[in-house]
Amino acid sequence: MLRMNNLSKVYRTHMIETHALRGFEIDVKQGEFVTVTGPSGSGKTSFLNIAGLLEDFTSGDYVLDGINVKGMDDNARSRLRNEKLGFIFQGFNLIPDLNLFDNVDVPLRYRGFNTAERKERIEDALAKVGLASRMRHFPAELSGGQQQRVAIARALAGSPKLLLADEPTGNLDTQMARGVMELLEEINAEGTTILMVTHDPELAQRTQRNVHIIDGQVSDLVRKSPSLVVAKEA
Amino acid sequence: MFQYYFLLGVRSLRRNPVLTALMVLILAIGVAASVSTLTILHVMSGDPIPGKSERLIVPLIDNGPLKGYTPGEREGDEMSYRDAVNLLASGQGDRRTAIRGASGTVEPARKDMPVFTVEGLTPTRDFFAMFEVPFLHGGAWSEADDKAGADVVVLSSKLAEKLFGNANPVGQRVRMFGFDYSVVGVFGKWNPVPRYHRIVGGPGAFGDEDEFYIPFHNAIRHEMGQNGNMNCSSDRGPGYQALLDSECIWIQFWFELHSVADRPQLQAWLDAYASEQRKLGRLQRNAPNKLFNVMEWLEEQKVVGKDSRLSAMLAFGFLILCLVNTIGLLLAKFSVRAPEVGVRRALGASRKEIFTQFLIESAVVGLAGGILGLLLALGALSLIGSISEQIAVTTHMDWMMLLVTFVMSVSAAILAGLLPTWRACQVTPALQLKSQ
Repeated sequence: MLRMNNLSKVYRTHMIETHALRGFEIDVKQGEFVTVTGPSGSGKTSFLNIAGLLEDFTSGDYVLDGINVKGMDDNARSRLRNEKLGFIFQGFNLIPDLNLFDNVDVPLRYRGFNTAERKERIEDALAKVGLASRMRHFPAELSGGQQQRVAIARALAGSPKLLLADEPTGNLDTQMARGVMELLEEINAEGTTILMVTHDPELAQRTQRNVHIIDGQVSDLVRKSPSLVVAKEA
Repeated sequence: MFQYYFLLGVRSLRRNPVLTALMVLILAIGVAASVSTLTILHVMSGDPIPGKSERLIVPLIDNGPLKGYTPGEREGDEMSYRDAVNLLASGQGDRRTAIRGASGTVEPARKDMPVFTVEGLTPTRDFFAMFEVPFLHGGAWSEADDKAGADVVVLSSKLAEKLFGNANPVGQRVRMFGFDYSVVGVFGKWNPVPRYHRIVGGPGAFGDEDEFYIPFHNAIRHEMGQNGNMNCSSDRGPGYQALLDSECIWIQFWFELHSVADRPQLQAWLDAYASEQRKLGRLQRNAPNKLFNVMEWLEEQKVVGKDSRLSAMLAFGFLILCLVNTIGLLLAKFSVRAPEVGVRRALGASRKEIFTQFLIESAVVGLAGGILGLLLALGALSLIGSISEQIAVTTHMDWMMLLVTFVMSVSAAILAGLLPTWRACQVTPALQLKSQ
C-alpha cells in the first residue's frame, strides 16, 4: 500500500541543514493498522506529511498504491491525495462556517462526483460515525469527540485506501478517545489501511504494528502479527 | 465547480461582515465614480446614428479670403448660400440637405393662448429621410413644396400638442412668422444625443429638441433672418439678396452616400467643383476640401471636451486607488483563511483549484460592489443631470453601460484579488494543519 525506500527529507535554510528523515524505509501492506511513535522532533510529522503528499521529499522513492509519486506535479499529487488518502487531524480541522454535510462534501467536490452520489456518500459516512441526524449542524455546535467523528466521516466519504491520522485522540478526553479509537479499529476491520501517529503508548499497543521513529529513521518495529509485517529496519 | 465556488463566495460575504461591507463600499464608490463619468463620455462620444454614420457626410469648402490666411486654418464649419445651392443641385450622393436655423413667433388660433416664440430648422425635404426623423402624423413635405419653398411645416409633437391638443393636426393651418403654414407632419420625440445634425450654428451638440421644420427655400423666399452663427469675412452689401450672393457662411450641409465606397467619388466631385469655382474667382485660398462622416464630424467639433476626458481619467485614477485599498482588505480577509486552505489542500484541492475558488470569491465581492456601485452611479448621474437640461441629456445610462458597470466592478475585484489569491495558494498545508 505504502512503500518508502531510502527516503530522505532535508530542510534547508541558508545557514543550516536539518535532516528530518534519512534513509527512511517502510512498507505498509493493504489492511494494516500501523501506529507511528517517537519523541518530539524525531520526524513523525515529516513522515506523515510526505506519506500524505502534503510535502515533497528530498531523495529516495515513495510508492503509494503502486504509483511512484516522485516528481509528480501539484495537480497529480492533489488528485492522488483526493482519491487514495483520507486525513484525520488532532485539531479536527473542520471548516467552521460549513455545516457537517458541507464539510464532508469538500473532498467529494474535488473528486467530481455528481450530486446524487455525493449526497449518498455523505449520508452514509455521517451515519457510520453516528451523526446522520446532525448533518445540518455546524462544527461549533458539537463536542470535540463529535467533531473528530465528522472529520473521520469526511476522511471516509471518498473511500480512501489509506487513512492518515495525526494524533486523532490528542485533543479528546479518555472516554471520547476510546470511542474514536474503536471507530478507527472498526474502519480498519472493514479493510481500510490506517497509519496513525500517536504519543499514547496504550493506543500503540492496540494496533497490529508499531513503527518507532528516532532521528528520522525507523529504529524499532513491534510486530504483533508476523504475517503482516514486511518493513525493514533502517 | 463554478457554482460551488460561487456559493462559497456568497457565504464568504457573511464572514467578517464589517470587512466585507468596507470592501464592497470602497469598490462601489470607485466603480460609481468611473461609471458616472464614463456614461457621460459614452453618451457624448456614442454613434448617434449607427449603421448610417459612415454614409452621412459633411462637406467643407474654405471660401475665406486669402489675406491673413495661414495654411491649416479654416474659415468656418458651414458654407455660403451659393455653395449650398450648388451642392443641392449637384446630384451627388443619394440625398442632400442644407440646414439653417430659424426662429420666430407663432400666433395660435386659440384666443386664450398668447403669441409665443419657437425655434427650429429650415432643411430641405431629404433631411427627414437622411436623419431618420420619426413621424407620428403625416410626413415630409412634397418635392414640389420643397422646390417652391411652400408654406408648409412639420411640427414637433410637443408643439403640435400645444397648438392642437391631442388631435392630428395634419392639414391644419398655423400662423408662424406672419404667414399661414399648412401642417404636413408631426414628428415624435427626436433629439439625437449629440445633436450631430446641428452641432455648428445652433445651441450646440446638447441643445433642446427642434420645435419645427420648414422648407429651406421657404425661409429664403420669406427672407427670414438666420437663427444661429453667420461668419462673414468681408463686408456685404445691404439687402437679403446681398447676403445670398455673399461669401458669408451660415448653412450646414449634409450628403448621404449610397455606400461608403462612394466617398472618394464625392471627394473628387467636390475638388472639381472647388476648382471650377476658383476659375470664377472664388475660393482663393486653394485650401483642401474636406469630407467628414458623423463620427469624424463629432471628433472634429470636439464634442467630447478635454474636461470630460480628464474627468474620466481622474475617475479611473480614483478607481485604482480604491483597488489598492481593496487589495489590502482582501489580503486581510484571505490571510485568516489559511487554515481552510490547508484543509482543502489536504482533502485534494490543487493550487489551481484554490486559486479559482478565491478568485471567484473576489469576483463575488466585485458583483456586490457592482450592484451598490450601480445604485450610487444612478444617484450621481441624477445629481449631475439636475445641474442643467443640456447636461441631463448626457446622463442616461443604457444597457451597455449597465453591463460595463458589472464588468468593471467584477474585473476590478478580480484584479484586486490576484495578489491575495496568489498568497492564499502559497499556504503550506502541512504547517496549517499542524498549527490548528
